[in-house]
Amino acid sequence: MKKFFVLLSVFAVFAFVTVGFASQMNTGCGVGNMIFKGKEGLMSQTMAITTNGCFSNNLFGISSGTVDCKKAGAFVMDEKVKTFVADNMDNLAQNIARGSGEYLNTLAVLMEIPEGQRADFYAKLQTNFAKIYTSDTVSHLDVVKNIEVVM
Amino acid sequence: MKQQQGGYGWCKKNASPFFFALMFFSLLAGNAPANEGSYADALVLSARQKKLYDDPYWHTLLHYKKTLFGLRSLIDDPKFFLARDGKTNPAAELEATIRAFFRDDDGKAKHPLCRFAARWAWLKEQLSIDVSKLPVSECRRFEDLVSQIKPESVSLVFPASYMNNPASMFGHTMLTIDTAGGSKLLSYAISYAAHTTESFGPFFAFKGILGLYRGYFSTLPYYTKLQEYSDVNYRDIWEYPLNLTKDEVLKLIRHAYELDDIYSDYYFFDENCSYQILFLLDAARPSLHLTDQHKPWVIPLDTIRLVERNGLIKKSINRPSKTTKIRHMASLLFPDDRETALSIAKGNIAPDIVINKPIPADRKINILNLASEYLQYLYTSQEMSKEVYAHRFLATLRVRSSLGASEQECGHVPAPVPPEQGHLSNKIGVGYGVRRHDGFAEVRYRAAYHDLLDDDGGYQEGAQIIFSGISARYYPADEKLVLQKLDLIDIASFTPRDIFLKPVSYKVATGLVREVMDDGQDHMIYRLNPGGGFCWKTGMLGLTYVIAEADANLGSRLDKGYAVGLGGAMGFIKNLTSRWKAYLLAKDIYYNMGDRHNAFELSLLQNITVTTNTSLRLEIIWSRKHGFDVLNATILGSLFF
Repeated sequence: MKKFFVLLSVFAVFAFVTVGFASQMNTGCGVGNMIFKGKEGLMSQTMAITTNGCFSNNLFGISSGTVDCKKAGAFVMDEKVKTFVADNMDNLAQNIARGSGEYLNTLAVLMEIPEGQRADFYAKLQTNFAKIYTSDTVSHLDVVKNIEVVM
Repeated sequence: MKQQQGGYGWCKKNASPFFFALMFFSLLAGNAPANEGSYADALVLSARQKKLYDDPYWHTLLHYKKTLFGLRSLIDDPKFFLARDGKTNPAAELEATIRAFFRDDDGKAKHPLCRFAARWAWLKEQLSIDVSKLPVSECRRFEDLVSQIKPESVSLVFPASYMNNPASMFGHTMLTIDTAGGSKLLSYAISYAAHTTESFGPFFAFKGILGLYRGYFSTLPYYTKLQEYSDVNYRDIWEYPLNLTKDEVLKLIRHAYELDDIYSDYYFFDENCSYQILFLLDAARPSLHLTDQHKPWVIPLDTIRLVERNGLIKKSINRPSKTTKIRHMASLLFPDDRETALSIAKGNIAPDIVINKPIPADRKINILNLASEYLQYLYTSQEMSKEVYAHRFLATLRVRSSLGASEQECGHVPAPVPPEQGHLSNKIGVGYGVRRHDGFAEVRYRAAYHDLLDDDGGYQEGAQIIFSGISARYYPADEKLVLQKLDLIDIASFTPRDIFLKPVSYKVATGLVREVMDDGQDHMIYRLNPGGGFCWKTGMLGLTYVIAEADANLGSRLDKGYAVGLGGAMGFIKNLTSRWKAYLLAKDIYYNMGDRHNAFELSLLQNITVTTNTSLRLEIIWSRKHGFDVLNATILGSLFF
């Protein structure tokens, strides 16, 4: 019975994988820095190429490797904002343009904007969208800087 | 946010060996004569007396499971065991662990007390270990980590099936550690996955089944997982906050921490991502024993049910995927506005044209919101270059930002039936039927998962995955028991097209089936039957699909032993009421290679959902194959379990 099941499984999985895999990653931190469709293939739980162990290195930091561990406090805070903005340029742009959304809320959390001032913060960013996302090739660092300028 | 404060002490370099040596000697001086050896012996003795090696929690932490040859850990990484025979000897591993706590810190590798944070915490409590008698009294790194992330609660996360990919029903589950005062996006997502760079599908599948990959746990910010599943793979995500207490959450993190960089051989069907996640929950709440409650194979959705049955789930939260949002937003718009949004995304008109349209501001907002969502979709599905995308996307958002906030914007997507509330995975049916004037009794069994006629609550409409289906018939007139059908796999994905989303529909079926042959008798053949085409959805006809099909058959009764044909099929699937579904299907295939013949089939299938897990089915199938007309009618009662 077990053999039968394994055989069955082989057939099944072969049928699954008839649709092709494509793997592509885009790097860089501008708008359009999203992973592409097909990165995961069909059997997602195994296609994810996870070279990172649980909790190893600074994986349990929000950041993705840009943080210098020796520096602490405000600098790290700043780095976390930068990393979040870099990783979420597109969804954040959309939230800022709408003046609401989860990515914008998260930015406010990371920037430690008090709850009472968030509505204002959101409105300010929305009004100044064009001053934040200044060009098609705007970098995440520019976006962070511009946000600080307009707020 | 507070959790972000406090710097990165935990990832600082270790204090120098010199420091620890100093500490160690000062300890010795304080407790002279140096007697830590005998304290270790005393603890080992006490552990033996208490039979801690037999304690279920020790077995949970070490992933010991009963096998024919006694206990054996499912973890395959030798690094995880301190005793040489630790994988199979819980008592030896326990003693080695206790003794390892007495090691000096060499400042290079993690001290065992850190390396095995959960073992340490548990043994410290069970044996009332006096930490002052140990060279190292606590794991600073771990404590710093906890104070930095401020863990609050844990959620189970289930990315439901892809649009247009029934195989993904098999899915994935992960956990998130939700932090105090933080945003859900900043939660830490813990998943378990095979570590592979294999890109050749069949190899990958083969190795996965045989357990040739190593599985590791990984932790990433939840937002990166959302990009993967929601924005790119278009899967609706279900989040289930669990009722673990803070102390239980800590237990979970300790165990996850000791599984860092530890592998187990990965098996697709049982020791997979969903199963390994259960160990973390067992470690969190010792009374659970979830890892002992599974079937020979582990379907991610079943693990959600398992966790629910064990009373862990507080509620379910639906997070619609990009495509679900697009479909929903489009459904709320006037047809004209939909076209405008499409034209903006396609670059046919500039987004600022919307500003001057004589329509209310809310409509303008909706158009621009939809256009920007759709642009993201076009880009992630690689239908647009980065330059074109960035330009149009930002141009659209600039116009959108000038219109201010809107009350009803983004149109909250109503949550569908949560997947764990849909019918169960196994199905058994019994019924009676007539085939060419011969009555028969029929029994059907299906290991997984959902077919086109089953109630769609909790599942995706138009998606089918039949995995290991079997049906047997008994003809009392001839006193004959026959295998009627064996489905190895029967997948169909009929996903409707609209002006925004243009998915291709397809099917793949393979297995054994009994069919009429040129002698007018029924014979068994093997069939491989793929097909592809398009599907639309209309209010009147329901899901309507048209597909081209190929069919390859093998069978001893076939002329030359095989037949290969091409043809097509058309079908209509409609919910006549919320519980009554009908499926009308016509299929015509011309076999031009091997046994040359024609096969035509017209079916009307109906399903009535009685309760979530019971249904009635009526099937009428008329076919003409090899020139013989066959009418087959069956009525079946089914139970999901």
